[in-house]
Amino acid sequence: MFFHIVLERNMQLHPRHFGRNLRENLVSKLMKDVEGTCSGRHGFVVAITGIENIGKGLIRDGTGFVTFPVKYQCVVFRPFKGEILEAVVTMVNKMGFFAEAGPVQIFVSNHLIPDDMEFQSGDVPNYTTSDGSVKIQKDSEVRLKIIGTRVDATEIFCIGTIKDDFLGVINDPSAA
Amino acid sequence: MSEKGEKGFSVQKRPAKSSLKSSALKDASLKGKDDSLSKLKKGRKVQFDAQGSVDATNTFSMKYSGKNGDLGKGGKGANTKASIAKEPQALELKIEQELPKNVKCQCLMDCEAAQLLQGIQDQMVFLSADPTIKIPTSFDRGLQYAKRANHYVNAESVRPVLETLKKYGVTDSEICVIANVCPDTTDEVFALLPSLKRKRSKLSEPINNVLSELAKVKSS
Repeated sequence: MFFHIVLERNMQLHPRHFGRNLRENLVSKLMKDVEGTCSGRHGFVVAITGIENIGKGLIRDGTGFVTFPVKYQCVVFRPFKGEILEAVVTMVNKMGFFAEAGPVQIFVSNHLIPDDMEFQSGDVPNYTTSDGSVKIQKDSEVRLKIIGTRVDATEIFCIGTIKDDFLGVINDPSAA
Repeated sequence: MSEKGEKGFSVQKRPAKSSLKSSALKDASLKGKDDSLSKLKKGRKVQFDAQGSVDATNTFSMKYSGKNGDLGKGGKGANTKASIAKEPQALELKIEQELPKNVKCQCLMDCEAAQLLQGIQDQMVFLSADPTIKIPTSFDRGLQYAKRANHYVNAESVRPVLETLKKYGVTDSEICVIANVCPDTTDEVFALLPSLKRKRSKLSEPINNVLSELAKVKSS
């Protein structure tokens, strides 16, 4: 789910950036530092939407660097256990399949795929029901439920399930 | 089914051997655990109003036994069961608790996020004079995802409709999940958001109204 959130960060700025453009320099450094990062507490920082306030700078002893506390608003994306997401399948194998929802990777193990769906190997590996009416393959869109998350320094990895009511394929690329 | 189960053991961390050997024995012990767990569950449920509690325990035990039989992963044993037992109740409620307390934080629906991010991207074209600022991949992916998950013609009209559910105690995050999923029926809402099941008797009517309102702004 996306969130709009206010975060704070201490920015260190080199004296060469001081002057009339100090604020712009600070903001562009913030964007470079923060956008695209990922933390377990907040998830992926997708974009900075605004600066709330920039505090008084503090000169660091020994160096010329100045630390500014910056409060900024940003859009973050973080998956939660129990959340329902629509994801695009990126890879299918006999263990299950991988899907992507925004910047987040989700793995659905074959235990968490309905029992009537069997793995079919071949050029386009897929999971298919015995009557062939439902097929999960690369680029299929599935609705899944997050049941577990693991947070890395740079990415969030989730375990999902489609073995429940109202979960599963929502559109089929081969049918279109 | 058994074949599928066996295949799967390669990804399970527990050894497959024990489950195969002792499946009969395990079954019995699991049943025992089942009982005690469901009893425990009932005991806990007493605090809720009568109808809600019946609803919740019923659906719960049904799902529970289903999981039990279908998965057939004896090796995993009580550990999984405990987590499964807890999850359906606590899943959604956690979102509010998991969020950091000391910072301002607002859930965004996918449609709102799509609008916001699209606005930023439109601006980027003018801002890209500075070549050192490059748009991170997570932005593109986020935008792509939000656009795809956007089911509505008009993002502004979605929130006012769903906010009416707030007075029935539906949380912000639950509202957002409903908006993102864009369900067709009330059954779908309750199946996907187990945390609402407890208030089912109170919520069915208002949710039904909300869904019919949402259907009007759906894009396809």
